[in-house]
Order: sequence, then structure tokens, then C-alpha cells
Amino acid sequence: MSFLADYVHYIGCFALVLIGLYIVLVKTNLVKVIIGINLIDTGVNLFLVSVGYIRMGTAPIFSEDGAAGKQMVDPVPQALVLTAIVIGVSVVALGLSVAIRLYEHYGTLDLRKIRELKW
Amino acid sequence: MVNPILLIAVPLGLGFIIPLLGLIWEKPTRYVPAAAMVFNLAASLLLLPKVLQRPWVVETAGLPPPFSIHLVAGPLGVGLSLLIALVGLLVAIYAIGYVREGPVAKYHSLYLFLLTGATGMVLTADLFNLFVFFEILCISSYALVAYHGDRAGTESSAKYLIQGAIGSSLVLIGIGFVYGLFGTLSMADIARNIDSVSPMKLFLPMAFLITGFGVEAAVLPLNAWLPDAHSSAPSSISAILSGIAIKAGLYAVARVLFTIYGADTIALLVLVIGILTLLVGEMSAFSQNNIKRLLAYSSIGQIGLIVFALGLASALGVQGALFLVVSHALAKSLLFLSVGYMIYRTGSMEISSLYGMGRRMPVSALCFTIGAFSLVGLPPFIGFPAKFTVIMAALERADPLFTALVGVVLVGTVVEGAYFFRIVQGLHFRPPPESATPARADQEEAPVSALVPICLLAALIVAVGVYPSVLTHYLGPAARDLLDKAAYIHHVLGP
Repeated sequence: MSFLADYVHYIGCFALVLIGLYIVLVKTNLVKVIIGINLIDTGVNLFLVSVGYIRMGTAPIFSEDGAAGKQMVDPVPQALVLTAIVIGVSVVALGLSVAIRLYEHYGTLDLRKIRELKW
Repeated sequence: MVNPILLIAVPLGLGFIIPLLGLIWEKPTRYVPAAAMVFNLAASLLLLPKVLQRPWVVETAGLPPPFSIHLVAGPLGVGLSLLIALVGLLVAIYAIGYVREGPVAKYHSLYLFLLTGATGMVLTADLFNLFVFFEILCISSYALVAYHGDRAGTESSAKYLIQGAIGSSLVLIGIGFVYGLFGTLSMADIARNIDSVSPMKLFLPMAFLITGFGVEAAVLPLNAWLPDAHSSAPSSISAILSGIAIKAGLYAVARVLFTIYGADTIALLVLVIGILTLLVGEMSAFSQNNIKRLLAYSSIGQIGLIVFALGLASALGVQGALFLVVSHALAKSLLFLSVGYMIYRTGSMEISSLYGMGRRMPVSALCFTIGAFSLVGLPPFIGFPAKFTVIMAALERADPLFTALVGVVLVGTVVEGAYFFRIVQGLHFRPPPESATPARADQEEAPVSALVPICLLAALIVAVGVYPSVLTHYLGPAARDLLDKAAYIHHVLGP
């Protein structure tokens, strides 16, 4: 039981990554695929935050708790996640704008019908 | 002395100025990338003799490494940024005349971001920073592939984006594992502490990092996006994607393998992946009828050869790999650039429609021939000493297995020769197809803004091919920079 309590955030974030990967691999609608990519991003971000998490730690800012020498969580992964969120959002935004353009050309978002290029 | 951080800051800053400038007056925006690359070229040339003596570690936040993000301008980093600036400058000059339709200011802005990302990747010494620059490179190339907004361009951009985004997520998971294990992101610090963690725990982050960066490096199972993206993009972008972007991905893979891990354990796997990539790339290129797809598949083949050379994991092998990086960057951008205006004039990418172009566009066709011969590895072009070094490095091992692998590499070269000679023969000696538009003598050859970079690239290929010692002088220290873990750690973190 304690194993589950200790590692539940890791299980959660990799579950999110796998769900996202499943959507990207299986779904044929481009918008759904982009949602899948977004889910993978979310899972990865959660993973990064939990890497730096310390149980019962306080926020890594200058505060009374911090000055009293209580444990703080690691601030570096939080900085990484902020950057990763921005990158993820821009990839999704670009993906959606490509999807709009694809819809103008093909009249569909079904990836099975958008396949003029082949090996 | 120029601070290496300016190599990143100047193109990035100018890239953001371009859209503002474009609001006021769009015409001068197309000269900005060339100006930025002239600066980078000059700065890299100035830095190179200095960093050959001792790498320059740049502290960005006033804290010494391993704290804060820092850059390491070593022989490899500055050498590659020199290559990026050189190819970037020539392609930027080409694009002045070539890119006329569509949102021109945005093109040049994104183009500068792409080069910023590549330059940042080769200079940074921080794993997460590597990822950020990698993403700058990737996102701008997704957008640039779809620049024309046509059916093929958007479709390949969507494919590239989906695969690239998953690759980036894998890289990020790998970085999370590495940070969890070592509590640091400085590559030198990770490399110093790598022995304190059991190899079992190291395997997972390495697999994630290499698979993620491998998507951009287009090694075998991860390269489905490449032929589409490189063939549907505008020719100037194909040139920079084939010449620079793949190399940046490869650089990241090599850095992770050699500097962080020390690649002895999986060198054989890398070798086999390289050989497979080479064979699949060359075989697929052989059966193509579309000239740009053919060049894209040929890029996959060359990447395979570079990965093979890296997998040898010897000083001479890595030196050969870097030689091939330079030779492929010059030759493949030359091929894409020279074929760009041929496609523009004939309006078709079919190889058969390019027959007889040797008479209509003699200079472009001649330069295409030089690039093709160089890729195949004929003397006196740069491809010959590059391939020769790799084969020397493989034979140096004096192992029947490696001799057999050299045989496979040579088979790949023969296939490469077969398809390139077919095109060159068609260009020069076959009559043009009957459907071709009648020749108008006045505007047949490519304009001067395109001919200058094409001829310069051709001249460089011949010059380095005749005097390879100009380059090998720098490749030795650059290969040591990649291979010698202890020296890298020593330079970054001090004794």
C-alpha cells in the first residue's frame, strides 16, 4: 500500500503519457492526434515536477517557512516545466494551424484520406 | 574578442526584429538573415584559433559551472557553428531571390530561428538547454516545411510535427530521469558522476534521449517524415534541413553517446543502425522518380554512413564522421539549391523532365554534377577524402567483421553512384522531353543571387577536395572534443 502512496504520481504521469501515445497511434482524426500529443506533454510535465517533489516540502520561494529551514521542493524542475509548457503550447498551436490548412485542402481531417505522399 | 554567446544572441535578436521591420517596410527584411550569418561567420572564424588552444566556457548568470546554464565553445562547437553560418549564409543569399511569394518576412524570421536553434545546440553545455534549442530548431522547421501552404507541404508538415513532437517528449522524459538520478543538468557534471550510478538505471534515460534526438537525426526506424518534409519544402529550406538540421540532431545524439555516456557499450548497435540506415536510404533513393525525394533519400543514406563512422568510436572514425558532416552539408545544399531553379523553370520535379537542362542552364547543371560526384565520393571533390577517412577508420580495426561492413558501405556507394550518374547523364546528354516549354534564351539560367551561392559551394567542394589538409587540421581537435570525456569535464568544471 505504501508503494502505491509513494509512487502514485509517477504511475499517474506515465499513464497519461501512455494514453496520449495510444491516441496518437490509434486515432485517425488529426485534431484528436494533436490532443494526444498535448496529453503526452502534460504527462511529461507532471513527471518533471514529481522528480523534484519532496514530501511535505514548501514552495521554493523566500518565505517564513523557508527562512526557518524547512524542506523546500526542488525549484529547477519547476523552471524546466514552465519552459516545457510554453514549448508544448506552441507545438500544439502550430499543429492546429496546420490542421486548419489541411482541412482547407482536403475537406477532411481523417488521416486515412490524407495520404498523397508515400515511400 | 567576440563572446560566443553573441553567436546565438545576434541571430535570435534579428529574427525577432524582422517581423517588426516587416510591418514598416518589407523589402529589406530579406537581407537580414544574410547579415546575421555574415556576423556569425566572422565571429566563428575569429573564435576558432582561440578555442583550438583552450575551450571557452561562458557563464551566463555569473555563477561558475555546474550551476546556471553555460555554453562551451570548444573546437567542435565553434567548428560546427562555422559550418552552420557558412551554409546558412549561402542559402540566405539564395533565398533573397528565390523566396518571392507568400509571407516573406515570416520566412526570413523563421529561417533565422532555425539557424539560432542549430547554433545553440552545438554550443550549449546544458542538457535542458540543448532540448530548448532543439525545439527552436524543430518548431521553425515544421512551419517552414509548410511555407508554401500547398497540399504536399501541409501534409508533410503535419507528419513531421506529429513525429517530432513525440520525439521531443521522449527527450524530455529522458532529461527528467537524468535529473532525478544526478540532480544536475550540466553535461560535464553528469559525465563526471556517471560511474556513481548503476548501468541498469542509466539505460532507460539513454534510450529515451537517443530515441528522441534520433527522430530529428533521421536514423533508420525514425525517419519516415524526412523524405516527405525535405521534398515538399521550398528548395532553400530543403537545403538547410538536409545540410544543417539533421546534423544538429546527430550532434545531440553523439554528444549524449560520447560525452555523457562513453559509447563503448552500444557502439556495435550504433554501427548496425548506421549500416541499415545507409542501405535503406540508398535503395529507396534508387527507385525514386522525383528528384527532390531522391535527394532526401540520399540524405538518409549519408546519415547512415555518418552514424556508421560514429559507431566506430575511434579517433579516426569520429574524424571521418565530422569530415562527412562537412562534405554532406556542402554537397547536399549545393544539390538542392542548383535543382531549385531547374524545378522552377520546368515546373516539375520528375527526373525525366530535367533531361537536357545541361544545355538550358549550363552553370546550374555543372554545379549539380560537382555536388553529385562529391556525394558519390569521386576525387578531386570533398566527398572522396571524407569517405576515404571513414573506410580507413573501419579497416584500422583489422577485424573481419569490420572489413565485411566496409564491403557493405561500398555497395551502398555503388548504388549511390548508379542513381546519381543516371541523373547527370540525363542532365547533359539526353534530349529534353517533347512536352518541355520552348527555350527562351534570355531567362533560362538561374539569376545571379542564386548562382553566387551555388558557385561558391561548388568552389568550396573542389577546394577542400584538392587540399583536404585545410580541414583535417581542425577535425582532429574537434573529434577529440567529442571523444575525450575527461578533457571535456576538466575544461568545464576545472580540475
